[in-house]
Amino acid sequence: MNSRSITIGRDDQVSGVTIGETAPLAFLGGPCAIETSDHARMMAERIGEICAKLNIPWIYKSCYDKDCRSAPDSFHGVGLDEGLKILGDIRSDFGIPVVCDFSDADWAKPTGEVVDLIQVPAYLCRQTTILRAAGDTGLPVHLKKGQFMSPWNMKNAVRKIEATGNRQILLTDRGTFFGYNMLVNDFRNFPIMSETGYPVCFDATHSVQLPTSMGDISGGQREFIPHLVRAAAACGINALFMEVHDDPPNALSDANTVLDIKYLEQILAQAKAAHELRLELLDKWGADRVHLDD
Amino acid sequence: MSISTTDLMVKDVLLSPDRVPVLPPTTLLKQALEEMNKFRLGVVCVTDEDEKLIGIFTDGDVRRLLLKSQKPFAALFVDDIIVHATSSFTSINDTASLSEAVVLMEKKEIWDLPVIAEGDGKFLGLLHLHPAIKAVMGL
Repeated sequence: MNSRSITIGRDDQVSGVTIGETAPLAFLGGPCAIETSDHARMMAERIGEICAKLNIPWIYKSCYDKDCRSAPDSFHGVGLDEGLKILGDIRSDFGIPVVCDFSDADWAKPTGEVVDLIQVPAYLCRQTTILRAAGDTGLPVHLKKGQFMSPWNMKNAVRKIEATGNRQILLTDRGTFFGYNMLVNDFRNFPIMSETGYPVCFDATHSVQLPTSMGDISGGQREFIPHLVRAAAACGINALFMEVHDDPPNALSDANTVLDIKYLEQILAQAKAAHELRLELLDKWGADRVHLDD
Repeated sequence: MSISTTDLMVKDVLLSPDRVPVLPPTTLLKQALEEMNKFRLGVVCVTDEDEKLIGIFTDGDVRRLLLKSQKPFAALFVDDIIVHATSSFTSINDTASLSEAVVLMEKKEIWDLPVIAEGDGKFLGLLHLHPAIKAVMGL
């Protein structure tokens, strides 16, 4: 169903990553928040080693401002200037594309001058000003489906970005509210969002979040990550998103959902295998043909 | 000099594109239904960038879709109209006679007949059965 692919990487300084169609499964990962320069670089190095070993194209993800934390005194981030400096250094020193979100339309331009893929936070996926600012950067846009949004209504968000002339979009599912403080994954979201013609991605770590379930912070059930990743890869994603940390209990953001890096290799290896098997099956049996008209 | 009803051509009676819902293929189904209401016609005409007619979506298509589709309305409403439009529609050239057109509409049991330019194939409008019959009858 994915008729378009997008390529992440604004120049030759980084290894470009193609996402979509029959391209290899791409990985977007890193710590939820940029904590320190040393920590961010250490994570980039360790994730890079695993992706190199598995031959998985990847994009480093970490954010300078966490604007949707549950409590007023939660870690908010290192800020725009310091964060972008760290991301820019990682980009040039490690030769990998980077992605970061923004939650204020004024931040889109400076962010877009550093990153290769600009991210629209799920909570803001209806905000026209944010979507327009993302589209106007001219960069590929990582558009996360709001937990409150139906997959078909993401078409409206897509069209807001397309109205800027930007037709490079990656659509991601990060779970859907199932009552209060609970998310579930509806795997129909992937084929439905694919109908937009853009590649789709699964955010495994935010999907296991239990939003603000612990009073002033979000809980999570990270034990389900491997199950959900295998299911999503079999269903037909083009990219996998996971936040990764070397010390989850002490992570400054999303401590209850980030994946311990010691599990990254085994999960990525399985995701890659499931993705490749799906492509083999489609090649052998043809595209999915169960239609309404049958 | 008055024109005899037998001499009338399709181009003399057709509804020009400004009097018909003419929409691009990416129009949402919900918007297409609103256009049908606005023009009080049971049909929308889907054209491409070259003003060529590429699909027709009618009241009958709405009925069949409602009976067939198991999607929630909210999902159906955001489908592109071209997904549900009929691409194999009956049409007629603007140089055809009106009586020829009415016979064709009777034979196909249709109320609206798209009119296509003989030369460049552009969409010129719609022949609606009521004004066509009125013209044939000299009313």
